Amino acid sequence: MRALTDRRPPGPFREGFWRSPLRGPWLTTAIGIVLLAGMVVTAATGFLSHLAYEPDLRGNAIIPADLDLPTPFGWPSSPAYLYAITQGLHVNVGLATIPFLLAKLWSVIPRLFTWPPARSPAHAVERGSIALLVGSSLFELATGVANMQLWYVFDFNFVVAHYYGAVVFVASLAVHLVVKLPTMRRAWRAQRGLAPLRERLADTRPEPPEAQLEPGLVPAAPAPPTMTRRGVLLFAGAGSATLLAGTLGQTVGGPLRATALLAPRRETGTDFPVNKTFRASRIDPRAVSDAVWRLELRGPSGTRRLTRADLLAMQQHDETLPIACVEGWTTTQDWSGVRLRDLAALVGGEDADAVYVVSLQDAILGETSLSGDTVREQRSLLALRVNGRDLPPDHGYPARIMAPAIPGVHQTKWVGRLEFRA
Amino acid sequence: MRALLRRGYGASPVHLVAHALALALAGWAILKVVDVRAASNIAAWFVGALVLHDLLVLPAYSLLDRAAVRLRVAGVAAVNHVRVPAGLTLLTLLVFWPQITGANDGDLRYVSGVEDDGVLARWLLLVAGLWLVSAVALAVRVARREDLGGGSPADQHGA
Repeated sequence: MRALTDRRPPGPFREGFWRSPLRGPWLTTAIGIVLLAGMVVTAATGFLSHLAYEPDLRGNAIIPADLDLPTPFGWPSSPAYLYAITQGLHVNVGLATIPFLLAKLWSVIPRLFTWPPARSPAHAVERGSIALLVGSSLFELATGVANMQLWYVFDFNFVVAHYYGAVVFVASLAVHLVVKLPTMRRAWRAQRGLAPLRERLADTRPEPPEAQLEPGLVPAAPAPPTMTRRGVLLFAGAGSATLLAGTLGQTVGGPLRATALLAPRRETGTDFPVNKTFRASRIDPRAVSDAVWRLELRGPSGTRRLTRADLLAMQQHDETLPIACVEGWTTTQDWSGVRLRDLAALVGGEDADAVYVVSLQDAILGETSLSGDTVREQRSLLALRVNGRDLPPDHGYPARIMAPAIPGVHQTKWVGRLEFRA
Repeated sequence: MRALLRRGYGASPVHLVAHALALALAGWAILKVVDVRAASNIAAWFVGALVLHDLLVLPAYSLLDRAAVRLRVAGVAAVNHVRVPAGLTLLTLLVFWPQITGANDGDLRYVSGVEDDGVLARWLLLVAGLWLVSAVALAVRVARREDLGGGSPADQHGA
């Protein structure tokens, strides 16, 4: 061990290479607390999104059921903005953590070049878990950021990789917290809590080396300060604010959509955004013409086929409901159509546990299930019209599901069949 | 037993148990979905990013930062007026790379019907705005002769 220590490689492995007077356990702790808050929200809403897909119902699982963790509870059918809020938080808070993750990595980068590489088996194991933590957080953010911009540069299935990456992330974050809590507590006490945030540049000094439980962050040969510790946190905060300025408008929707400078979901022409156009659905236009299209209802008391005119002759209901996409954008419109529970009643499916919705579109989640609660929820519609006109082809003509609280991808367009199952 | 563990392993039993549990869960998750094609793809990205960062990006931003630290306008340290807008420029470029470069245009246009709506132009405006705000703030400080930078220019070093 001694011989290895003596043969310290040059460059970043040398003591004295890293000179920022700001690095130290207090700064890392302060950045880490903000980062932790953001990551807890992002991870929790991410797992909530997984539950919102209701993977236990027929057709809904993207992650094969035998590979999935157990589902603790079903997704509620109210309030209407439930998924818009959880997924809006997931995407936007996730984006806002990026600058804090970069600041955190900057604050601890000397540790990447620590020498010897492992002082003990415990140190080796700990570095392994930190490699998983850093790797999984970068992986989660990179795949999430790429997916929200529909940039499919990866060979793997995004949902599966992002989900399992999250399991690795949560496990390695939990162990990191357990191990680092004493370090954080000691650094916080040594610097009297938030006191360093009030320092002016002229009073900014390196942290006392003895405040570290293990050496390596506080520089051996510090340079004069050029920024305060408060400045570092504000710099990262300015990064979060700039990123949010790029996207927040698409999550809120309405007139604010135009303020989302960098987000992919802008108004497309005169119409509100869609995830998938009619052209991309590859549905034969004849299949959705009024002459050919029939809605097939199946239930305990039999099967019925309805034309669009039959549906329009039923009691129509108006609901203002959001489409909330997994990619973090939301758009709220005025829909009208037939209540799902009225359709269920036509085939004796009032007490159905679920409705299996089959689209004319052959795609991932082209066939999905909605829960019995959503069937009985009075705002759940098979929508025929939007904003006072027939649904445009891109928005699901002849009929689409429009129900509160659920992910946009379950608001199936170009519906061909509804199966109410007891 | 405790002393033996500390001598042989180098940390407390809590450390060992916590790592055993966490690594087991992470290992399970990785093994559940490991797929040779995807694994090699992930490894290629990971190693590529590591090499790119350590050999290219890290020396580049260290050198640029050292240069910026020496920058003074009328005796006022200008370093943070360069650092902050430069950092925000790079951050937005990194995060919105597919949008700004149009790398996602094909999927966005075909799948979602979004026409190219000038993200590049809006990003350039945003960045110009950031640099402008920073320059105005510097001008105000020069006018007030307010120097927040410590030390003489000669002994300023970044990294």
